[in-house]
Amino acid sequence: MAFPSRKTAGAWPNWALAFLFLVTLATAACEFASPGQPSGMADRSRWGTSAVLTPAHATAGDAITAFFDSRPDTIAQPFDFSHQIHLSKGAVCTDCHTGVEQGPRAGLPSVNTCMICHSQIATDRPLIQQLAKMQEQGLDLNWNRVYDYQPQAHVRFNHAPHIAAKVACATCHGNQQEQTVARRAVNMTMSFCVNCHKEKQASNDCLTCHY
Amino acid sequence: MDRRHFIKLTAISGTTAALTACGNPEHQLIRFIPEDDLVPGIATWKPSICPLCSAGCGVIARVMEGDAEVFRNGQPGVIRMGLAKKLEGNPEDAISQGKLCSRGQAAIQVTYHPDRLANPRQRTGERGSGQFADISWDEAIKELIGQLDALVAANDQASLALLTKPRRGRRLDLLAQWLQRFGAKAPVTFELFSDDVLRRANEISFGAAQLPTLDFEHARYVVSFGADFLGTWNSSVAQSAAYGRMRQSGPGGRAKLVHADARLSQTAGNADEFVAIKPGTDGVLALGLAHVIIANNLRPANNAGRSGAAIEGWAGGLAAFTPAEVEKKTGVPAATVERLAKEFAAATPAVALVSGAPLAHSNGLFHALAVNALNALVGSVNVPGGVTFIPQPGPAVATRALNEILQGAAPKVLLLDDVNPVFASPAASKVAEALKRIPFIASFGSFVDETSAMADLILPGHSFLESWVEAVPESGSAKAVAISAGPVMRPLFDTRPTMDVLLQVSRQLAKPLAPALPNTFEEYLNSDRAGASKDAPLRYDTGASKDAPLRYTDPLFDGDAAQFPYHFLPYASQTLSDGSTAHLPWLQEIPDPMSSAMWCSWVEINEQKGKQLGIQQGDVIEIASAHGTLRAPAFLNPGIAPDAVAMPVGQGHTNFTRYATGLGVNPIGILSPAVVADTSLLAWSSTRVKITRVSGPDQSLIMFGGATRERPDETHGRGDEH
Repeated sequence: MAFPSRKTAGAWPNWALAFLFLVTLATAACEFASPGQPSGMADRSRWGTSAVLTPAHATAGDAITAFFDSRPDTIAQPFDFSHQIHLSKGAVCTDCHTGVEQGPRAGLPSVNTCMICHSQIATDRPLIQQLAKMQEQGLDLNWNRVYDYQPQAHVRFNHAPHIAAKVACATCHGNQQEQTVARRAVNMTMSFCVNCHKEKQASNDCLTCHY
Repeated sequence: MDRRHFIKLTAISGTTAALTACGNPEHQLIRFIPEDDLVPGIATWKPSICPLCSAGCGVIARVMEGDAEVFRNGQPGVIRMGLAKKLEGNPEDAISQGKLCSRGQAAIQVTYHPDRLANPRQRTGERGSGQFADISWDEAIKELIGQLDALVAANDQASLALLTKPRRGRRLDLLAQWLQRFGAKAPVTFELFSDDVLRRANEISFGAAQLPTLDFEHARYVVSFGADFLGTWNSSVAQSAAYGRMRQSGPGGRAKLVHADARLSQTAGNADEFVAIKPGTDGVLALGLAHVIIANNLRPANNAGRSGAAIEGWAGGLAAFTPAEVEKKTGVPAATVERLAKEFAAATPAVALVSGAPLAHSNGLFHALAVNALNALVGSVNVPGGVTFIPQPGPAVATRALNEILQGAAPKVLLLDDVNPVFASPAASKVAEALKRIPFIASFGSFVDETSAMADLILPGHSFLESWVEAVPESGSAKAVAISAGPVMRPLFDTRPTMDVLLQVSRQLAKPLAPALPNTFEEYLNSDRAGASKDAPLRYDTGASKDAPLRYTDPLFDGDAAQFPYHFLPYASQTLSDGSTAHLPWLQEIPDPMSSAMWCSWVEINEQKGKQLGIQQGDVIEIASAHGTLRAPAFLNPGIAPDAVAMPVGQGHTNFTRYATGLGVNPIGILSPAVVADTSLLAWSSTRVKITRVSGPDQSLIMFGGATRERPDETHGRGDEH
């Protein structure tokens, strides 16, 4: 294909411009509407993210989404699990999210974990009965992870040292006692991490998180 | 593309992404409850054994939590489970010593291969068509038991045959016991690049019918006759590790490696000196060295004892093997023979080894005996820096050769245990035709290949990472080794461990096998652990051999020299081996160390000969033997004899998963079915061919680099001396 002359290349179709404008507007709107940012947090940058617009995305749409970090705050889950109810009954985070004290990732509970308590508690509720039936059939819940990093950010987060340093779960995950279905209550930007590391005098070396 | 198109495409792809992101369910598959209690993100390392060659390298597998698509209760779904993600050599293992070859690294792909059989199948189409329908394990086992019961009812138990790989170990022991209790004959074994000629020679020379362990680390001088010990032969990981230490300049300075061959192999490429030699004459060179050593009184002839007595004319100082005579037969200059002999005798310990192409000639046994005698002459047997033999826990299980069931009375029921003789035998051997005559064939392999496509019933086994595995390595360590390891992960699919299926069958036959065998392979391995660890001292048989001394005979070649002027030298591919690992895409992807070719077949032709014939790199060549023809692109190689063409084995599969099917051509197909004298092993180096240029490059030669980057030293021969 020949390289176009300046004349033909100069004209941008109106619909393309309109589309770009709409995408920009929509993503910006999502950003500013992000709820759940706890007070006292470090200021976010205007666009809330340090992700870079790189070609390392499957589509341009993905790149734009990543650039503006416009992800939904609520993630669809198999059912509306209420954190609030469970925490108010005295359960603690590590009862279900096992592994945080030992390793990098927080576990997501299987039906077996639910049934440790629910084989005795609230067995008359229809949802619990459904869970019991699932366990009988050997079927598990398809939880969706709420927090993660864009792969192109090359961030590695390890829960265990944070738990050991007595960082409260709520610092990064918001107050779950106020939440039913978990949502992205905190936007984990680089400045969010760096400020906390500064405050706690933890290392801010690049290689602490990017490796 | 102009800017307008770019913007349009960007907008379209952006919209598509936005739309697909709406309500995209991550998994349509159902999710099963995890069976393990794993800490997410924490890796554990579990031991296992690499199954891809007979070396028996101990490996460790990195196991981490992950989501896998699996079959549970006949249903596909997703499960969070401990998954093996990476293999490394086990630092505690005497053979692998914490290292692993490329095949071992790629072995992880066996478990996750997209074409791995997930459940039992029954043939629905023609034999060999590869058409199968799913059946349940109960039905499959019932079918197998029915066939076996019918043999028992007809009192025809001898018509059951089991075809397996010749891997020494407790698995083969148990298979043999199973067959013996059923009333069938010994297991049949098949391997294209079998070392049985060398085992036979070691039995004659040293009274030990097994593969030698070579102590490269302490050797000061090594002469290799065609043995690709750094690439494909025997325990190549252990040998490469020892070779590395040999090269680290010991107290006496850097040891020397001399390699004699008709083609520059990977090992030859590592050698200090490459000696170009005519195919099928290696033993003559070995005896030439022995002649010079004896004639110059560097060692007395009777040093060689029993090994020397196996060679005709040894006691008389090998009068027929003067350097001048050796030059006539082998093409190696007399002065080179003299010099090598003196260097070999002066460096202590010095060791010689032979394997591969030299032993795949009609006179293969002679070459092995000659090299054994040379080692014995310089006192390099059972000493540090020489040849030793690992003590074995017991005598090797008696096995039968494939020819026995192909040429004799055909069995009525054949059990196939992950062997592929249809691919790895010459078309002239008519293996497929022989298999078609067998009324019932059951296969236990994990993949459909050219041989298991002939099966009536496929009962896929677990992958090695999902089952109990064991190895009793025959070579590669100075000490006796017997290892076994449990599964490192739960099975992904609806497969069952082959040994456990056979043990279940033994109990469920109309007349169960008696005395009863263990319930599971695990039980067998654990009950036998005490026996396996017994460090039985090796008893060298130093008494006189009952075999008559062997006389040198010229190698017999298939095809008239005038009509078929070139020696055809197939060789084991560094990565694809004998073709049994061609289904692993990582191995297809790895460039061959000498040619840098990948995902293809090629024919190596001497560079100058190619110029004479007007053949250029990549040109399509037709190779014709008396038994068939094939076409492949030419690779011009300065390190191959001008009267020879070579081809790697491994490609040319017609039915072996998506990654191997239809790639390249199979050189085994056009070989002569001739065997090594006094054995039933294929003499795969003894075929002669003619070559014709067919056309210019057809893009089938895929190379990572451009050509051979380093050329053999002109002063040490470049393959065109003879």
